[in-house]
Amino acid sequence: MMPVRLGPLLLAHPIINASGTMEILDLAEVLGPDVLSVPPVAAYVPKTITMDARTGNPAPRILETPGGMINAIGLEGEGLKGFVADRLPRLLALPCPLIISIGGFSLDEYVGLAAGLREALEAALGDGWTAKAGLELNISCPNVHSGCVSIGSNPAETELVVGAVRKIWPGLLIAKLTPNVTDITAIARAAEAAGADAVAAVNTYKGLVIDRKTLRPYLGNVTGGLSGPAIKPLALRAVYELYETVGIPIVGMGGVATARDVLEFMACGAAAVAVGSAAFRDPSVGASLAVDLWDELTARGTSVADVVGVAHRPV
Amino acid sequence: MAGGAPAVWPPVAGAGAGGAFAARCLGAVVENRSLGSLVWLTLEVPGWPGAVPGQFAMLQARDSGCFLGRPLSVSAQYGEVVSFMIAPIGEGTRELCALSVGEQVWVLGPLGNGFDLDLLTAGPGRTVLVGGGVGAAPFPLLLSALAARYQQTPPPADAPKPEVLVLLGFRDASQACGAGPLAGAAEELEAAGVSCPGEVATEDGSIGRPERVTETMWRQVRPGDRLAVCGPWPMIEGVAKVCACIPDVQVWYSLEAGMACGVGSCHGCVVTLADGSRARVCREGPVFSSAALFDRGCFDAPAGGAS
Repeated sequence: MMPVRLGPLLLAHPIINASGTMEILDLAEVLGPDVLSVPPVAAYVPKTITMDARTGNPAPRILETPGGMINAIGLEGEGLKGFVADRLPRLLALPCPLIISIGGFSLDEYVGLAAGLREALEAALGDGWTAKAGLELNISCPNVHSGCVSIGSNPAETELVVGAVRKIWPGLLIAKLTPNVTDITAIARAAEAAGADAVAAVNTYKGLVIDRKTLRPYLGNVTGGLSGPAIKPLALRAVYELYETVGIPIVGMGGVATARDVLEFMACGAAAVAVGSAAFRDPSVGASLAVDLWDELTARGTSVADVVGVAHRPV
Repeated sequence: MAGGAPAVWPPVAGAGAGGAFAARCLGAVVENRSLGSLVWLTLEVPGWPGAVPGQFAMLQARDSGCFLGRPLSVSAQYGEVVSFMIAPIGEGTRELCALSVGEQVWVLGPLGNGFDLDLLTAGPGRTVLVGGGVGAAPFPLLLSALAARYQQTPPPADAPKPEVLVLLGFRDASQACGAGPLAGAAEELEAAGVSCPGEVATEDGSIGRPERVTETMWRQVRPGDRLAVCGPWPMIEGVAKVCACIPDVQVWYSLEAGMACGVGSCHGCVVTLADGSRARVCREGPVFSSAALFDRGCFDAPAGGAS
């Protein structure tokens, strides 16, 4: 009653993490190696990988807001080479599938990232790699100033990037969408037409916070991405509209903190649900959500398959 | 586990029960004592594995109106009874400071690297603790750990008596009550054959000299001293400027930073290091050496320091 299929990946249950909200290798050092043998999520999504190493945005980068938080990290990371050499082998040892998030500043970078990862995965796992690792195209980060979200805000560019990656990536391919557009369904249709296996929605809502003392923008990047329970109704609406628009599975996210939130996203049409900011508060929240969801489904005498999209049907 | 109930993780709160790992679990308030404008909050934390001085925990009242925990230095610990010195500066810390005995708190910790006692006590110079405001928070635990260390390994009889000097700066007399919890630990040190003098300054002169702790440092810090420093970023800058002018001092800074998770996931708490790289205060810190933070040991403002 819990397993979920996303393209060639089989997930033991529908709860995964949102990219950039869980450094599982750090968690293993802080909380102990159980995190790696029994991960708190059914598939692990690392922080977005970029082609080159990036130091990210200047501090301050993060602030709590009513019912959530705002961040402007700016895709800090070690770059593709560092990821493949250092972290990828350790992440492939996880007992769950891996969904690798990539972010580019041009079409060529997305293709180069996908090609580099495919090569590394084939070398490590042989032909069976598509059952272990998928790809999430981050075309929605609000905190960088070129590529990425400007691609994901334009249906034609989305179709070009997804289509180009599709040609060389036989595994699971997810397009992660930004809600900071006039019509998210137009972007989703473009991704589906270009061959995406699934869409993930939503990335953070672009926002701004003011420093109380100076009355100037608080974040080093000026603007940031809003997340947490405050955005849940906005995200639910996006998932609801996407379910009526595309035929591919939807990975729903945006303010998930309880099993009831998970059920709401599934009812709107999410086949899998990601927990993000709530994992900052409690790094094991994914596991609690899966257990609570099991209890909730059992109590209702229903299953994941029966709940997905139920909000679109008459009572 | 496909098809069955997912495994519960972690099996019990306290993956590190009796071990070295942090865990998130509910603690209960056993004491809430006012220290002037600060609060000394003591919790019973089941499975608390023990903190290294300088480590912190993410604290959030169980019935909180906030979304995230707040990073707070561990100030004292006796087994599973753990104390925190808290300044009520925002919504999250005000909630914690208002808790009554018996109320519950989510505790995720201990986190971060902490001070290295070997380095702080190596060499012929003194160990000097410099705190600004609630930056005194890690020092009761640090003094206790130093006392335990000297008790275990007493200094040679023919060597000069070791000294741990404590310099604290506060805004006013009310905040200076934060020096109180250091007194007991200082006595432990004296009992271990270590002298532990201290000086308190306040910006408004209501207690001690009317000066900043950096001004106290000009009088007190000597070549060869090893410093443990904790306070807000402007004070860290001030201390670095002083230390750049005194030969042969080594300094370790415990930094404050806003953070969402405390475990390395959010990348929100970064500080720019001397080599231009960025480090997470929660994972690579909160304690950084002077050499790591400041180029050539001299002060250069890092681009967008910790917030």
